[in-house]
Amino acid sequence: MTTITVDSRGTACPGPITDLIRAYRKAANGDVIELLATDVGIKSDAKAWCDRTKNELVNITESDGTYKTVIKIVSKRENRDT
Amino acid sequence: MALSIIMFSGTADKFIPLGVLTQTAANLGVPVSIFVTGWALAGFLKDGQKNVNRMPVEFADMVPMLEKGMHDIKAPSWYEMLKSAKEIGDVKIYACSLMTEIFKIKSKEQLDGIVDDIVGAASFMQQSGQNQIIFI
Repeated sequence: MTTITVDSRGTACPGPITDLIRAYRKAANGDVIELLATDVGIKSDAKAWCDRTKNELVNITESDGTYKTVIKIVSKRENRDT
Repeated sequence: MALSIIMFSGTADKFIPLGVLTQTAANLGVPVSIFVTGWALAGFLKDGQKNVNRMPVEFADMVPMLEKGMHDIKAPSWYEMLKSAKEIGDVKIYACSLMTEIFKIKSKEQLDGIVDDIVGAASFMQQSGQNQIIFI
């Protein structure tokens, strides 16, 4: 189990979710992805993505215009699965 | 859930939602089929990206704002978004056989490598089945 930090600050929608997925493809169940983004759309998009992929949205916090989204990976069928 | 996009317009502004919708669908694991027809085919010729630069005249006064805004937020180009969507998800790009005939294109090797095949409208419609269909 590892924590993977993805820095997507400065990219616009749909960049942050795209960066999230690139990290997700390499992640395993039990890993935690911390996604940093400045595009406000990430708040709704991270929730939509977690709902669709059945991963766990732990929380989203904001500080100085950066949104930190913490997602626990729980629903990968295999480690290289998308 | 799957998405079919009929890409008809040739103006650069319409290629932005093509890129964003396709990338977003790929991100969510939604399969996408894109049917390229009409003026949009010009953007999918070899080096076709350079053909995508006309803006709609009715928005001429707002074009500089759009272009500067896209540059300021470092938005990727529509082409980069399509390429990235194809890497991540199930995205197929088909060129309309009627338009390729009109453009005197005989095989997909004469189109950009991002195009999967040249197909007829019936094949696209059949393949779209119950997909949501979006016309751009």
